Amino acid sequence: MIEARRLSKMYGPVTAVDRISFEMGRGEVVGLLGPNGAGKTTTMRLLTTYLPPTSGRASLCGHDVLDDPLAARRCVGYLPENAPLYGEMRVREYLDFRAKLKDVPRSKRRRSIAEAVARCGLSDVENRVVGHLSRGYRQRVGLADAIVHEPPILILDEPTAGLDPIQVREVRTLIRELGERHAVLLSTHIMSEVEAVCGRVVIIARGRIALDDRLDNLRVDGALFVEARGPAEAIRKTLAATPGVASARTLGEADGVASFEVRPKPGEDPREEVATRLVANGWPPRTLDARRGSLEDRFVDAVSRAGLVATEAEAG
Amino acid sequence: MRHVPTLLARELNAYFLGPMAYLVLLAFQFIAFLNFWELVEALSRPQGEYSSLRDPMNRYIAESTPFWLAILIAIPALTMRLLAEEKRSGTIEPLLTAPVTEGEIVVSKWLAGMIMYGALLIPFALYLPFLYYQADFHFDPGPILSLGVGLTTMGMMFVAVGVFFSAVTRNQVVAAIWTFVALFLMVVVTHLLAFYFAGRRQTSLVDAARHVAILDQMRSFALGRFDLRTIALHLSVCVFVLFATTTIFAARRGR
Repeated sequence: MIEARRLSKMYGPVTAVDRISFEMGRGEVVGLLGPNGAGKTTTMRLLTTYLPPTSGRASLCGHDVLDDPLAARRCVGYLPENAPLYGEMRVREYLDFRAKLKDVPRSKRRRSIAEAVARCGLSDVENRVVGHLSRGYRQRVGLADAIVHEPPILILDEPTAGLDPIQVREVRTLIRELGERHAVLLSTHIMSEVEAVCGRVVIIARGRIALDDRLDNLRVDGALFVEARGPAEAIRKTLAATPGVASARTLGEADGVASFEVRPKPGEDPREEVATRLVANGWPPRTLDARRGSLEDRFVDAVSRAGLVATEAEAG
Repeated sequence: MRHVPTLLARELNAYFLGPMAYLVLLAFQFIAFLNFWELVEALSRPQGEYSSLRDPMNRYIAESTPFWLAILIAIPALTMRLLAEEKRSGTIEPLLTAPVTEGEIVVSKWLAGMIMYGALLIPFALYLPFLYYQADFHFDPGPILSLGVGLTTMGMMFVAVGVFFSAVTRNQVVAAIWTFVALFLMVVVTHLLAFYFAGRRQTSLVDAARHVAILDQMRSFALGRFDLRTIALHLSVCVFVLFATTTIFAARRGR
């Protein structure tokens, strides 16, 4: 659905986006993560044809953003940062205006707008003037605008910014629903949001892709957390000797219960073997948990690595 | 150009559903009132004082200082927000990411500006039927119509200039000042230039300056000299400026 090939954008001498390439298919929800100024918004603006790329290509549903921008725009619903809207219009009026601009046929328009209003929870404020709405409602009007023409691709720049926790939850549910039928690319700097809605994460730092992986993969290669009753040192040795385990480290011991961090060898899951061995030695396990590698750690790791590479490149 | 009606409707709603349009109209009504008063005063003076060339009907609007002052201020004020406001508030981003071309946006902004401009002129036309029917003063409507056409094509050109400067900047004040300067050059400076050349007896340059001086053009329209060359000049400047606006607007996306 979305395809970017060595996409770059320079603002004068400043490189905002530096040769990024990625692909996205239908039914994927991809989170675009990155520190402030990393190039998230610029990337989204390149994909939505708002900005022309300096070099590289991108296409949406097979329509190139430079060669056929109108067709590319037709298949994308875009929620810009801060959801800019015309303050003097009423919500329904605004959505009607946007639906007309996006060529929703007259016969379908009423139904599409009603559906967008319902999905974004705007029925209470349908006839209110946009300029009088609270931040959260305006954000939702922007979201309703993005989905009103039922585009195959959704590009959402910080969709939950400015919403209260209940609204955040609603919007995330909505995005998950939309993700089943559409391709959704959203940017955020909230880690829990990525974990809640995205299937895949692309981390951008200094205009480059620092990491692009499925969320599941990012989670599993964390260490195991083991607690068992018994002599700490003996247990540690046994754990370290278990097949599939790279190393074991004692974390602490209290009331005869010892806790360990066990690092599995790459690609192996020794949880069952660990449990069997502990029981066989008469050390009943209390906890055996695949500790989720925190996304935050991965993020900091990826970003600082990108920073390091960039500094080296500049120095060299 | 399929989206122009939609875009135009939004633009006019934004203008006419708020108080702004009516305040501007009210102010113009006041100037039109002063203008008409002046006309009636002049008409009630003894007939012998003027020849046909100094007929007060022919001087109505075209030689009125308040009218030109008001036009020079009102057009920049009306056109400055058209594109600059969208850039400043960021609404240009959803607009340009909808399947709409830059040309459609520029044309609908220009049309909206033209309708606002037309609304400004209505008060001036409003009094004339009263003069004709109520006061039974049967003036020749020909020169007035010719002036009307001239003012319309002049407005097309002026509004296009306003849209151009609104497309160049995101700051409304900058757009307004540049538009004012451009219009001032076209209306006043060209006229002064004609005087300057006349003083130096450079007749061909005088003719050239008179031909492009808006003030002189409108004066001759008001005298009933319906000059198609002037109309053609206005229209071609208008089309060229609109084309330049579209090109620059497209090239400056996102800035």
